[in-house]
Amino acid sequence: MKKKNLEPHAFMLPSYILLFGFMGYPLINCIRLAFTNYKIMKPDEVYFAGLNNFKGILSDPDLLMILGNSVKFVVITVFLQFVLGLILALTLKKPFRFRGVYQGIVFLPWAFSGFIIGLTFQWLFNGEYGPINDLLLKAHLITEKISFTGTPGLSLFTVIAALTWAGIPFFAIMILAALQSIPNELYEAAKIDGGNALDMFKHVTIPCIKPTIVITILLRTIWVFNNADLIYVMTRGGPANTSHTLSSYMFMKAYSTLDFGQASALGVLFMFVLVLYVLIFLKITRFNEAGDVG
Amino acid sequence: MMNPSYKKKISKGLMVFGRVLILLFFLIIVVAPIYWLFITSLKLPKDIATLDLQYWPKNPTLDNYVALWKSTQFPAYLKNSLLVSVISGVIVVIVSIGGGYALARYRFRMKKITLIGFLVSQMIPITLILVPVFLIFSRLGLNDTLTSLVVLYVILNTPFCVITMQSFFMNIPTSIEEAATIDGCGRMDVLIRIVLPVMLPGIIAVFIFAFIGAWNDLLTGVMLINTEAKKTIPVGLSAYVGQFSIDWGEMTAGGMLALIPSAILFAIAQKFIVEGLTAGAVKG
Repeated sequence: MKKKNLEPHAFMLPSYILLFGFMGYPLINCIRLAFTNYKIMKPDEVYFAGLNNFKGILSDPDLLMILGNSVKFVVITVFLQFVLGLILALTLKKPFRFRGVYQGIVFLPWAFSGFIIGLTFQWLFNGEYGPINDLLLKAHLITEKISFTGTPGLSLFTVIAALTWAGIPFFAIMILAALQSIPNELYEAAKIDGGNALDMFKHVTIPCIKPTIVITILLRTIWVFNNADLIYVMTRGGPANTSHTLSSYMFMKAYSTLDFGQASALGVLFMFVLVLYVLIFLKITRFNEAGDVG
Repeated sequence: MMNPSYKKKISKGLMVFGRVLILLFFLIIVVAPIYWLFITSLKLPKDIATLDLQYWPKNPTLDNYVALWKSTQFPAYLKNSLLVSVISGVIVVIVSIGGGYALARYRFRMKKITLIGFLVSQMIPITLILVPVFLIFSRLGLNDTLTSLVVLYVILNTPFCVITMQSFFMNIPTSIEEAATIDGCGRMDVLIRIVLPVMLPGIIAVFIFAFIGAWNDLLTGVMLINTEAKKTIPVGLSAYVGQFSIDWGEMTAGGMLALIPSAILFAIAQKFIVEGLTAGAVKG
Protein backbone atom coordinates (compact mmCIF):
# COMPACT_ATOMS: atom_id res chain seq x y z
CA MET A 1 0.00 0.00 0.00
CA LYS A 2 2.72 2.37 1.03
CA LYS A 3 4.72 1.57 -2.09
CA LYS A 4 1.82 2.39 -4.36
CA ASN A 5 1.50 5.85 -2.90
CA LEU A 6 5.12 6.61 -3.60
CA GLU A 7 5.09 5.42 -7.18
CA PRO A 8 3.61 8.52 -8.82
CA HIS A 9 6.03 10.69 -6.89
CA ALA A 10 8.95 8.65 -8.19
CA PHE A 11 7.77 9.36 -11.73
CA MET A 12 7.23 13.00 -10.88
CA LEU A 13 10.50 13.52 -9.03
CA PRO A 14 12.43 15.18 -11.88
CA SER A 15 9.48 17.48 -12.56
CA TYR A 16 9.30 18.43 -8.86
CA ILE A 17 13.00 19.22 -8.75
CA LEU A 18 12.78 21.38 -11.85
CA LEU A 19 9.63 23.13 -10.79
CA PHE A 20 10.58 24.00 -7.24
CA GLY A 21 14.36 24.10 -7.54
CA PHE A 22 14.59 26.24 -10.62
CA MET A 23 11.30 28.11 -10.65
CA GLY A 24 10.20 28.41 -7.04
CA TYR A 25 13.59 29.02 -5.49
CA PRO A 26 14.70 31.68 -8.02
CA LEU A 27 11.41 33.51 -7.58
CA ILE A 28 11.86 33.69 -3.83
CA ASN A 29 15.46 34.65 -4.37
CA CYS A 30 14.39 37.42 -6.72
CA ILE A 31 12.33 38.94 -3.90
CA ARG A 32 15.27 38.65 -1.49
CA LEU A 33 17.65 40.23 -4.00
CA ALA A 34 15.27 43.15 -4.44
CA PHE A 35 16.11 44.17 -0.88
CA THR A 36 19.84 43.62 -1.34
CA ASN A 37 22.56 45.87 -2.64
CA TYR A 38 24.02 43.59 -5.28
CA LYS A 39 26.13 44.88 -8.11
CA ILE A 40 28.01 42.08 -9.81
CA MET A 41 31.02 44.30 -10.39
CA LYS A 42 31.32 44.97 -6.66
CA PRO A 43 31.03 41.53 -5.06
CA ASP A 44 32.39 42.79 -1.71
CA GLU A 45 29.58 45.27 -1.22
CA VAL A 46 26.64 42.92 -0.87
CA TYR A 47 24.41 43.96 2.01
CA PHE A 48 20.77 44.36 3.02
CA ALA A 49 19.59 47.58 1.44
CA GLY A 50 16.03 47.93 2.72
CA LEU A 51 13.91 49.79 0.21
CA ASN A 52 16.84 51.46 -1.56
CA ASN A 53 16.41 49.49 -4.78
CA PHE A 54 12.73 50.36 -4.90
CA LYS A 55 13.51 54.03 -4.27
CA GLY A 56 16.03 53.76 -7.06
CA ILE A 57 13.60 52.42 -9.64
CA LEU A 58 10.73 54.69 -8.57
CA SER A 59 12.91 57.79 -8.94
CA ASP A 60 13.89 56.63 -12.43
CA PRO A 61 12.45 59.33 -14.73
CA ASP A 62 11.82 56.75 -17.47
CA LEU A 63 9.78 54.33 -15.36
CA LEU A 64 6.36 55.85 -16.08
CA MET A 65 7.06 55.99 -19.79
CA ILE A 66 8.20 52.35 -19.71
CA LEU A 67 5.06 51.25 -17.86
CA GLY A 68 2.99 53.17 -20.41
CA ASN A 69 4.92 51.48 -23.22
CA SER A 70 4.16 48.09 -21.68
CA VAL A 71 0.44 48.83 -21.70
CA LYS A 72 0.53 50.16 -25.27
CA PHE A 73 2.65 47.24 -26.41
CA VAL A 74 0.43 44.59 -24.84
CA VAL A 75 -2.98 46.08 -25.71
CA ILE A 76 -2.23 46.83 -29.37
CA THR A 77 -0.33 43.61 -30.03
CA VAL A 78 -2.83 41.27 -28.40
CA PHE A 79 -5.79 43.07 -30.00
CA LEU A 80 -4.30 42.77 -33.50
CA GLN A 81 -3.20 39.18 -32.96
CA PHE A 82 -6.66 38.25 -31.74
CA VAL A 83 -8.65 39.94 -34.51
CA LEU A 84 -6.41 38.65 -37.31
CA GLY A 85 -6.15 35.19 -35.72
CA LEU A 86 -9.95 34.99 -35.41
CA ILE A 87 -10.45 35.99 -39.06
CA LEU A 88 -7.87 33.43 -40.18
CA ALA A 89 -9.43 30.67 -38.07
CA LEU A 90 -12.96 31.41 -39.35
CA THR A 91 -11.70 31.33 -42.94
CA LEU A 92 -9.90 28.01 -42.35
CA LYS A 93 -12.88 26.33 -40.72
CA LYS A 94 -14.42 24.89 -43.89
CA PRO A 95 -12.13 22.39 -45.65
CA PHE A 96 -10.74 23.28 -49.06
CA ARG A 97 -8.17 21.72 -51.33
CA PHE A 98 -4.60 22.12 -50.04
CA ARG A 99 -5.83 23.34 -46.66
CA GLY A 100 -3.16 21.23 -44.94
CA VAL A 101 -0.38 22.79 -46.99
CA TYR A 102 -1.83 26.26 -46.54
CA GLN A 103 -1.94 25.81 -42.75
CA GLY A 104 1.61 24.51 -42.75
CA ILE A 105 2.79 27.74 -44.40
CA VAL A 106 0.59 30.24 -42.59
CA PHE A 107 1.32 28.77 -39.14
CA LEU A 108 5.06 28.77 -39.80
CA PRO A 109 5.89 32.03 -37.93
CA TRP A 110 5.03 30.17 -34.75
CA ALA A 111 8.28 28.20 -35.10
CA PHE A 112 10.41 31.31 -35.71
CA SER A 113 12.83 32.57 -33.10
CA GLY A 114 12.77 36.09 -31.74
CA PHE A 115 16.15 36.58 -33.34
CA ILE A 116 14.95 35.78 -36.85
CA ILE A 117 11.70 37.72 -36.50
CA GLY A 118 13.60 40.72 -35.13
CA LEU A 119 16.25 40.53 -37.83
CA THR A 120 13.66 40.26 -40.59
CA PHE A 121 11.49 43.13 -39.41
CA GLN A 122 14.41 45.38 -38.62
CA TRP A 123 15.51 44.85 -42.20
CA LEU A 124 11.98 45.38 -43.58
CA PHE A 125 11.71 48.66 -41.65
CA ASN A 126 15.28 49.72 -42.48
CA GLY A 127 15.48 53.49 -42.94
CA GLU A 128 17.61 53.41 -46.09
CA TYR A 129 17.23 50.15 -47.95
CA GLY A 130 14.07 48.73 -46.39
CA PRO A 131 11.22 47.69 -48.69
CA ILE A 132 8.54 49.27 -46.47
CA ASN A 133 10.02 52.71 -47.01
CA ASP A 134 10.46 51.94 -50.69
CA LEU A 135 6.87 50.79 -51.17
CA LEU A 136 5.45 53.72 -49.21
CA LEU A 137 7.48 56.09 -51.39
CA LYS A 138 6.37 54.41 -54.58
CA ALA A 139 2.76 54.61 -53.44
CA HIS A 140 3.31 58.33 -52.74
CA LEU A 141 2.16 57.89 -49.16
CA ILE A 142 5.36 59.48 -47.85
CA THR A 143 7.68 62.02 -49.45
CA GLU A 144 10.90 61.01 -47.75
CA LYS A 145 12.16 57.90 -46.05
CA ILE A 146 11.35 57.35 -42.40
CA SER A 147 13.84 56.05 -39.88
CA PHE A 148 11.33 53.74 -38.21
CA THR A 149 13.61 52.20 -35.58
CA GLY A 150 15.44 55.47 -34.94
CA THR A 151 12.45 57.68 -34.20
CA PRO A 152 11.10 57.89 -30.64
CA GLY A 153 7.51 56.73 -30.59
CA LEU A 154 7.83 54.86 -33.88
CA SER A 155 10.41 52.28 -32.90
CA LEU A 156 8.03 50.58 -30.46
CA PHE A 157 5.56 50.12 -33.33
CA THR A 158 8.08 48.24 -35.43
CA VAL A 159 8.33 45.73 -32.58
CA ILE A 160 4.53 45.61 -32.28
CA ALA A 161 4.28 44.85 -36.01
CA ALA A 162 6.83 42.04 -35.70
CA LEU A 163 5.23 40.48 -32.65
CA THR A 164 1.74 40.70 -34.17
CA TRP A 165 3.03 38.87 -37.22
CA ALA A 166 4.59 36.17 -35.08
CA GLY A 167 1.54 35.73 -32.82
CA ILE A 168 -1.30 35.36 -35.33
CA PRO A 169 -0.73 31.60 -35.80
CA PHE A 170 -1.11 30.81 -32.11
CA PHE A 171 -4.49 32.54 -31.91
CA ALA A 172 -5.59 30.98 -35.18
CA ILE A 173 -4.55 27.48 -34.07
CA MET A 174 -6.35 27.76 -30.74
CA ILE A 175 -9.55 29.25 -32.16
CA LEU A 176 -9.58 26.84 -35.10
CA ALA A 177 -9.40 23.88 -32.73
CA ALA A 178 -12.30 25.30 -30.73
CA LEU A 179 -14.33 25.95 -33.89
CA GLN A 180 -13.83 22.39 -35.08
CA SER A 181 -15.10 21.00 -31.81
CA ILE A 182 -18.49 22.75 -32.12
CA PRO A 183 -21.06 20.03 -32.88
CA ASN A 184 -22.79 20.51 -36.22
CA GLU A 185 -26.20 19.85 -34.65
CA LEU A 186 -26.08 23.27 -32.99
CA TYR A 187 -25.88 24.97 -36.39
CA GLU A 188 -28.61 22.75 -37.82
CA ALA A 189 -30.89 23.56 -34.89
CA ALA A 190 -30.26 27.27 -35.40
CA LYS A 191 -31.07 26.90 -39.09
CA ILE A 192 -34.37 25.17 -38.32
CA ASP A 193 -35.21 28.04 -35.99
CA GLY A 194 -34.79 30.35 -38.98
CA GLY A 195 -31.49 31.92 -37.97
CA ASN A 196 -29.30 33.55 -40.60
CA ALA A 197 -25.50 33.43 -40.76
CA LEU A 198 -25.08 36.38 -38.41
CA ASP A 199 -27.46 34.88 -35.82
CA MET A 200 -25.53 31.64 -35.92
CA PHE A 201 -22.25 33.45 -35.45
CA LYS A 202 -23.61 35.44 -32.50
CA HIS A 203 -25.56 32.70 -30.75
CA VAL A 204 -23.66 29.53 -31.61
CA THR A 205 -20.09 30.25 -32.65
CA ILE A 206 -19.17 32.99 -30.18
CA PRO A 207 -20.58 31.32 -27.04
CA CYS A 208 -18.91 28.02 -27.96
CA ILE A 209 -15.46 29.47 -28.49
CA LYS A 210 -15.65 31.99 -25.65
CA PRO A 211 -13.76 29.86 -23.09
CA THR A 212 -10.94 29.28 -25.56
CA ILE A 213 -10.79 32.96 -26.46
CA VAL A 214 -10.66 33.94 -22.80
CA ILE A 215 -7.82 31.58 -21.89
CA THR A 216 -5.89 32.37 -25.08
CA ILE A 217 -6.09 36.11 -24.51
CA LEU A 218 -5.01 35.59 -20.90
CA LEU A 219 -1.96 33.54 -21.89
CA ARG A 220 -1.06 35.72 -24.86
CA THR A 221 -1.27 38.93 -22.84
CA ILE A 222 1.16 37.49 -20.34
CA TRP A 223 3.52 36.23 -23.04
CA VAL A 224 3.51 39.56 -24.86
CA PHE A 225 4.04 41.37 -21.55
CA ASN A 226 6.96 39.03 -20.83
CA ASN A 227 8.50 39.37 -24.28
CA ALA A 228 11.92 40.97 -24.27
CA ASP A 229 13.93 39.32 -27.03
CA LEU A 230 12.32 41.12 -29.96
CA ILE A 231 12.99 44.50 -28.36
CA TYR A 232 16.54 43.38 -27.61
CA VAL A 233 17.19 42.44 -31.25
CA MET A 234 15.31 45.26 -32.96
CA THR A 235 15.83 48.42 -30.92
CA ARG A 236 17.67 47.57 -27.68
CA GLY A 237 15.03 49.83 -26.13
CA GLY A 238 16.19 52.82 -28.11
CA PRO A 239 16.22 55.56 -29.00
CA ALA A 240 16.69 56.81 -25.42
CA ASN A 241 14.64 54.04 -23.74
CA THR A 242 11.50 55.03 -25.69
CA SER A 243 10.87 51.50 -26.91
CA HIS A 244 11.55 49.69 -23.64
CA THR A 245 8.83 47.73 -21.89
CA LEU A 246 9.06 46.61 -18.29
CA SER A 247 10.33 43.20 -19.39
CA SER A 248 13.07 44.38 -21.75
CA TYR A 249 14.08 47.14 -19.33
CA MET A 250 14.48 44.56 -16.57
CA PHE A 251 16.66 42.44 -18.83
CA MET A 252 18.83 45.37 -19.85
CA LYS A 253 19.18 46.40 -16.18
CA ALA A 254 20.49 42.95 -15.32
CA TYR A 255 22.50 42.47 -18.48
CA SER A 256 24.15 45.80 -19.14
CA THR A 257 24.25 47.70 -15.84
CA LEU A 258 24.72 44.45 -13.89
CA ASP A 259 22.81 45.99 -10.98
CA PHE A 260 21.12 42.79 -9.84
CA GLY A 261 19.44 44.48 -6.86
CA GLN A 262 17.56 47.02 -8.96
CA ALA A 263 16.84 44.44 -11.67
CA SER A 264 15.23 42.26 -9.00
CA ALA A 265 13.26 45.20 -7.62
CA LEU A 266 11.90 45.68 -11.14
CA GLY A 267 11.16 41.96 -11.09
CA VAL A 268 9.07 42.32 -7.94
CA LEU A 269 7.18 45.21 -9.55
CA PHE A 270 6.74 42.95 -12.56
CA MET A 271 5.27 40.11 -10.49
CA PHE A 272 2.92 42.57 -8.82
CA VAL A 273 1.60 43.83 -12.17
CA LEU A 274 1.25 40.25 -13.43
CA VAL A 275 -0.74 39.02 -10.44
CA LEU A 276 -2.92 42.14 -10.48
CA TYR A 277 -3.65 41.61 -14.15
CA VAL A 278 -4.56 37.95 -13.74
CA LEU A 279 -6.92 38.73 -10.85
CA ILE A 280 -8.65 41.57 -12.70
CA PHE A 281 -8.88 39.54 -15.89
CA LEU A 282 -10.47 36.56 -14.15
CA LYS A 283 -12.90 38.87 -12.38
CA ILE A 284 -13.95 40.76 -15.52
CA THR A 285 -14.39 37.72 -17.72
CA ARG A 286 -15.97 35.76 -14.87
CA PHE A 287 -13.82 32.94 -16.07
CA ASN A 288 -15.18 30.34 -13.64
CA GLU A 289 -18.59 30.75 -15.23
CA ALA A 290 -17.22 30.85 -18.77
CA GLY A 291 -16.50 27.14 -18.50
CA ASP A 292 -20.23 26.37 -18.34
CA VAL A 293 -20.93 27.67 -21.83
CA GLY A 294 -21.10 25.16 -24.69
CA MET B 1 -36.70 41.51 -60.49
CA MET B 2 -33.86 39.09 -59.93
CA ASN B 3 -34.44 35.37 -59.88
CA PRO B 4 -33.99 34.25 -56.25
CA SER B 5 -31.82 31.22 -57.06
CA TYR B 6 -29.69 33.46 -59.25
CA LYS B 7 -29.32 35.91 -56.39
CA LYS B 8 -28.29 33.08 -54.11
CA LYS B 9 -25.66 32.00 -56.58
CA ILE B 10 -24.21 35.49 -56.74
CA SER B 11 -24.01 35.83 -52.97
CA LYS B 12 -22.39 32.41 -52.73
CA GLY B 13 -19.90 33.44 -55.40
CA LEU B 14 -19.12 36.61 -53.48
CA MET B 15 -18.56 34.57 -50.31
CA VAL B 16 -16.08 32.30 -52.07
CA PHE B 17 -14.35 35.31 -53.59
CA GLY B 18 -14.09 36.99 -50.19
CA ARG B 19 -12.69 33.83 -48.66
CA VAL B 20 -10.04 33.50 -51.35
CA LEU B 21 -9.08 37.15 -50.84
CA ILE B 22 -8.65 36.65 -47.08
CA LEU B 23 -6.60 33.49 -47.60
CA LEU B 24 -4.39 35.30 -50.09
CA PHE B 25 -3.98 38.23 -47.72
CA PHE B 26 -2.65 36.01 -44.93
CA LEU B 27 -0.45 34.07 -47.31
CA ILE B 28 1.19 37.28 -48.55
CA ILE B 29 1.57 38.67 -45.03
CA VAL B 30 3.36 35.51 -43.89
CA VAL B 31 5.43 34.81 -46.98
CA ALA B 32 6.56 38.34 -47.92
CA PRO B 33 8.91 38.90 -44.92
CA ILE B 34 10.40 35.40 -45.30
CA TYR B 35 10.84 36.02 -49.03
CA TRP B 36 12.63 39.31 -48.35
CA LEU B 37 14.93 37.58 -45.84
CA PHE B 38 15.67 34.86 -48.38
CA ILE B 39 16.40 37.03 -51.42
CA THR B 40 18.58 39.37 -49.37
CA SER B 41 20.73 36.40 -48.43
CA LEU B 42 21.27 35.75 -52.16
CA LYS B 43 22.30 39.30 -53.07
CA LEU B 44 25.75 40.80 -53.53
CA PRO B 45 26.55 43.64 -51.11
CA LYS B 46 26.21 46.22 -53.90
CA ASP B 47 22.74 44.89 -54.70
CA ILE B 48 21.71 45.14 -51.05
CA ALA B 49 22.91 48.67 -50.37
CA THR B 50 21.20 50.25 -53.32
CA LEU B 51 18.37 52.75 -53.45
CA ASP B 52 16.99 50.96 -56.47
CA LEU B 53 15.57 48.04 -54.49
CA GLN B 54 15.62 44.66 -56.18
CA TYR B 55 12.56 42.60 -55.44
CA TRP B 56 14.17 39.87 -57.46
CA PRO B 57 17.96 39.40 -57.04
CA LYS B 58 19.74 40.45 -60.22
CA ASN B 59 22.92 38.50 -59.47
CA PRO B 60 21.89 35.62 -57.22
CA THR B 61 24.88 34.20 -55.36
CA LEU B 62 25.74 32.02 -52.39
CA ASP B 63 28.67 34.28 -51.43
CA ASN B 64 26.98 35.39 -48.21
CA TYR B 65 26.65 31.83 -47.00
CA VAL B 66 30.29 31.11 -47.77
CA ALA B 67 31.41 34.34 -46.10
CA LEU B 68 29.30 33.61 -43.04
CA TRP B 69 30.82 30.17 -42.75
CA LYS B 70 34.40 31.45 -43.13
CA SER B 71 34.51 34.87 -41.49
CA THR B 72 32.38 34.28 -38.40
CA GLN B 73 32.32 31.47 -35.89
CA PHE B 74 29.12 30.20 -37.47
CA PRO B 75 30.27 26.55 -37.62
CA ALA B 76 30.84 26.66 -33.85
CA TYR B 77 27.49 28.38 -33.26
CA LEU B 78 25.76 25.72 -35.32
CA LYS B 79 27.45 22.87 -33.46
CA ASN B 80 26.55 24.43 -30.08
CA SER B 81 22.95 25.05 -31.10
CA LEU B 82 22.54 21.47 -32.27
CA LEU B 83 24.22 20.09 -29.18
CA VAL B 84 22.15 21.97 -26.58
CA SER B 85 18.88 21.55 -28.49
CA VAL B 86 19.24 17.80 -28.98
CA ILE B 87 20.46 17.06 -25.44
CA SER B 88 17.87 19.24 -23.73
CA GLY B 89 15.18 17.82 -26.02
CA VAL B 90 16.06 14.24 -25.03
CA ILE B 91 16.07 15.09 -21.31
CA VAL B 92 12.74 16.91 -21.61
CA VAL B 93 11.25 13.84 -23.28
CA ILE B 94 12.44 11.54 -20.46
CA VAL B 95 11.23 13.89 -17.71
CA SER B 96 7.88 14.47 -19.35
CA ILE B 97 7.26 10.78 -19.98
CA GLY B 98 7.58 10.27 -16.22
CA GLY B 99 5.56 13.34 -15.31
CA GLY B 100 2.92 12.87 -17.99
CA TYR B 101 2.45 9.20 -17.06
CA ALA B 102 2.06 9.96 -13.37
CA LEU B 103 -0.40 12.78 -14.01
CA ALA B 104 -2.47 10.71 -16.42
CA ARG B 105 -2.57 7.41 -14.54
CA TYR B 106 -2.43 8.11 -10.81
CA ARG B 107 -4.41 10.09 -8.31
CA PHE B 108 -2.18 11.66 -5.69
CA ARG B 109 -2.20 14.54 -3.29
CA MET B 110 0.29 16.86 -5.00
CA LYS B 111 -1.37 16.50 -8.39
CA LYS B 112 -3.45 19.64 -8.40
CA ILE B 113 -0.68 21.81 -6.94
CA THR B 114 1.77 20.47 -9.51
CA LEU B 115 -0.59 21.24 -12.37
CA ILE B 116 -1.15 24.75 -11.08
CA GLY B 117 2.61 25.11 -10.63
CA PHE B 118 3.17 24.13 -14.25
CA LEU B 119 0.54 26.58 -15.43
CA VAL B 120 1.98 29.41 -13.34
CA SER B 121 5.48 28.61 -14.58
CA GLN B 122 4.21 29.29 -18.11
CA MET B 123 3.50 32.84 -17.03
CA ILE B 124 6.84 33.59 -15.42
CA PRO B 125 9.10 35.49 -17.79
CA ILE B 126 12.60 34.19 -18.27
CA THR B 127 13.87 37.70 -17.51
CA LEU B 128 12.51 37.37 -13.98
CA ILE B 129 14.45 34.25 -13.03
CA LEU B 130 17.59 35.04 -15.02
CA VAL B 131 19.34 36.96 -12.25
CA PRO B 132 18.84 34.37 -9.48
CA VAL B 133 19.64 31.57 -11.92
CA PHE B 134 22.79 33.40 -13.00
CA LEU B 135 23.88 33.54 -9.36
CA ILE B 136 23.08 29.85 -8.76
CA PHE B 137 25.08 28.88 -11.83
CA SER B 138 28.01 31.04 -10.86
CA ARG B 139 28.09 29.35 -7.44
CA LEU B 140 28.07 25.96 -9.19
CA GLY B 141 30.78 27.14 -11.55
CA LEU B 142 28.48 26.57 -14.53
CA ASN B 143 28.36 30.08 -15.97
CA ASP B 144 29.58 30.38 -19.51
CA THR B 145 29.13 26.66 -20.17
CA LEU B 146 26.82 24.84 -22.53
CA THR B 147 25.69 22.73 -19.54
CA SER B 148 24.04 25.81 -18.02
CA LEU B 149 22.06 26.30 -21.23
CA VAL B 150 20.97 22.65 -21.30
CA VAL B 151 19.78 22.86 -17.68
CA LEU B 152 17.81 26.04 -18.33
CA TYR B 153 16.25 24.82 -21.54
CA VAL B 154 15.09 21.66 -19.79
CA ILE B 155 13.50 23.79 -17.07
CA LEU B 156 11.84 26.18 -19.48
CA ASN B 157 10.39 23.53 -21.77
CA THR B 158 9.41 20.81 -19.29
CA PRO B 159 6.11 22.21 -17.90
CA PHE B 160 4.41 22.52 -21.26
CA CYS B 161 5.77 19.16 -22.42
CA VAL B 162 4.60 17.33 -19.28
CA ILE B 163 1.08 18.67 -19.76
CA THR B 164 1.13 17.77 -23.45
CA MET B 165 2.48 14.29 -22.68
CA GLN B 166 -0.24 13.82 -20.07
CA SER B 167 -2.92 14.45 -22.67
CA PHE B 168 -1.27 11.98 -25.06
CA PHE B 169 -1.23 9.34 -22.29
CA MET B 170 -4.88 9.99 -21.53
CA ASN B 171 -5.77 9.22 -25.14
CA ILE B 172 -4.42 5.69 -24.72
CA PRO B 173 -6.91 3.25 -23.23
CA THR B 174 -5.78 1.73 -19.93
CA SER B 175 -7.06 -1.67 -21.07
CA ILE B 176 -3.80 -2.40 -22.94
CA GLU B 177 -1.82 -1.90 -19.78
CA GLU B 178 -4.22 -3.93 -17.68
CA ALA B 179 -4.00 -6.86 -20.07
CA ALA B 180 -0.21 -6.81 -19.92
CA THR B 181 -0.19 -6.49 -16.14
CA ILE B 182 -2.35 -9.61 -15.86
CA ASP B 183 0.18 -11.40 -18.03
CA GLY B 184 2.69 -10.72 -15.29
CA CYS B 185 4.57 -7.69 -16.55
CA GLY B 186 5.70 -5.11 -14.02
CA ARG B 187 4.57 -1.52 -14.32
CA MET B 188 7.90 -0.36 -15.76
CA ASP B 189 7.88 -3.23 -18.24
CA VAL B 190 4.41 -2.29 -19.40
CA LEU B 191 5.39 1.34 -19.76
CA ILE B 192 8.53 0.69 -21.76
CA ARG B 193 7.43 -2.26 -23.90
CA ILE B 194 3.78 -1.53 -24.51
CA VAL B 195 2.79 2.06 -23.83
CA LEU B 196 5.78 3.97 -25.22
CA PRO B 197 5.76 2.37 -28.69
CA VAL B 198 2.11 3.40 -29.07
CA MET B 199 3.03 6.89 -27.90
CA LEU B 200 5.77 7.40 -30.48
CA PRO B 201 4.06 10.24 -32.40
CA GLY B 202 3.48 12.09 -29.11
CA ILE B 203 7.06 11.55 -28.03
CA ILE B 204 8.35 12.90 -31.35
CA ALA B 205 6.08 15.94 -31.03
CA VAL B 206 7.33 16.67 -27.50
CA PHE B 207 10.94 16.30 -28.61
CA ILE B 208 10.40 18.67 -31.51
CA PHE B 209 8.66 21.17 -29.29
CA ALA B 210 11.53 21.13 -26.79
CA PHE B 211 14.10 21.23 -29.58
CA ILE B 212 12.54 24.30 -31.18
CA GLY B 213 12.24 25.98 -27.78
CA ALA B 214 15.95 25.54 -27.13
CA TRP B 215 16.96 26.28 -30.72
CA ASN B 216 15.09 29.60 -30.68
CA ASP B 217 16.22 30.88 -27.28
CA LEU B 218 18.11 34.14 -27.26
CA LEU B 219 18.15 35.99 -23.94
CA THR B 220 19.21 33.08 -21.72
CA GLY B 221 22.20 32.56 -23.95
CA VAL B 222 23.00 36.27 -24.09
CA MET B 223 22.99 36.42 -20.29
CA LEU B 224 24.91 33.22 -19.56
CA ILE B 225 27.43 32.82 -22.40
CA ASN B 226 30.40 35.12 -22.97
CA THR B 227 32.91 33.01 -24.83
CA GLU B 228 32.54 33.37 -28.57
CA ALA B 229 33.18 29.66 -29.23
CA LYS B 230 30.37 28.63 -26.86
CA LYS B 231 27.62 30.80 -28.35
CA THR B 232 24.55 29.41 -30.06
CA ILE B 233 23.37 30.76 -33.43
CA PRO B 234 20.93 33.43 -32.18
CA VAL B 235 23.33 34.58 -29.45
CA GLY B 236 26.31 34.73 -31.78
CA LEU B 237 24.54 36.48 -34.63
CA SER B 238 22.53 38.93 -32.55
CA ALA B 239 25.78 40.51 -31.41
CA TYR B 240 26.34 41.59 -35.02
CA VAL B 241 22.83 42.94 -35.42
CA GLY B 242 23.33 45.48 -32.66
CA GLN B 243 26.28 47.05 -34.45
CA PHE B 244 26.03 50.12 -36.65
CA SER B 245 27.27 48.55 -39.84
CA ILE B 246 25.40 45.32 -40.16
CA ASP B 247 26.38 42.99 -42.95
CA TRP B 248 22.82 42.28 -44.04
CA GLY B 249 23.88 39.68 -46.57
CA GLU B 250 25.66 37.53 -44.00
CA MET B 251 23.05 38.12 -41.31
CA THR B 252 20.14 37.11 -43.52
CA ALA B 253 22.12 34.06 -44.64
CA GLY B 254 22.59 33.16 -40.97
CA GLY B 255 18.89 33.76 -40.37
CA MET B 256 17.94 31.45 -43.21
CA LEU B 257 20.24 28.69 -41.92
CA ALA B 258 18.84 29.08 -38.41
CA LEU B 259 15.35 28.90 -39.83
CA ILE B 260 15.71 25.65 -41.76
CA PRO B 261 15.80 23.09 -38.91
CA SER B 262 12.88 24.59 -37.00
CA ALA B 263 10.82 25.02 -40.18
CA ILE B 264 11.40 21.41 -41.26
CA LEU B 265 10.67 20.03 -37.80
CA PHE B 266 7.58 22.20 -37.55
CA ALA B 267 6.33 20.93 -40.89
CA ILE B 268 6.80 17.33 -39.72
CA ALA B 269 5.12 17.80 -36.39
CA GLN B 270 2.66 20.57 -37.23
CA LYS B 271 -0.37 18.38 -36.68
CA PHE B 272 0.84 17.08 -33.30
CA ILE B 273 2.06 20.46 -32.12
CA VAL B 274 -1.30 21.98 -32.96
CA GLU B 275 -2.97 19.19 -30.97
CA GLY B 276 -0.49 19.64 -28.14
CA LEU B 277 -0.94 23.40 -28.02
CA THR B 278 -4.66 22.95 -27.83
CA ALA B 279 -4.51 20.22 -25.21
CA GLY B 280 -1.82 21.95 -23.17
CA ALA B 281 -3.52 25.29 -22.96
CA VAL B 282 -7.14 24.26 -22.73
CA LYS B 283 -7.11 21.18 -20.54
CA GLY B 284 -4.16 22.28 -18.43
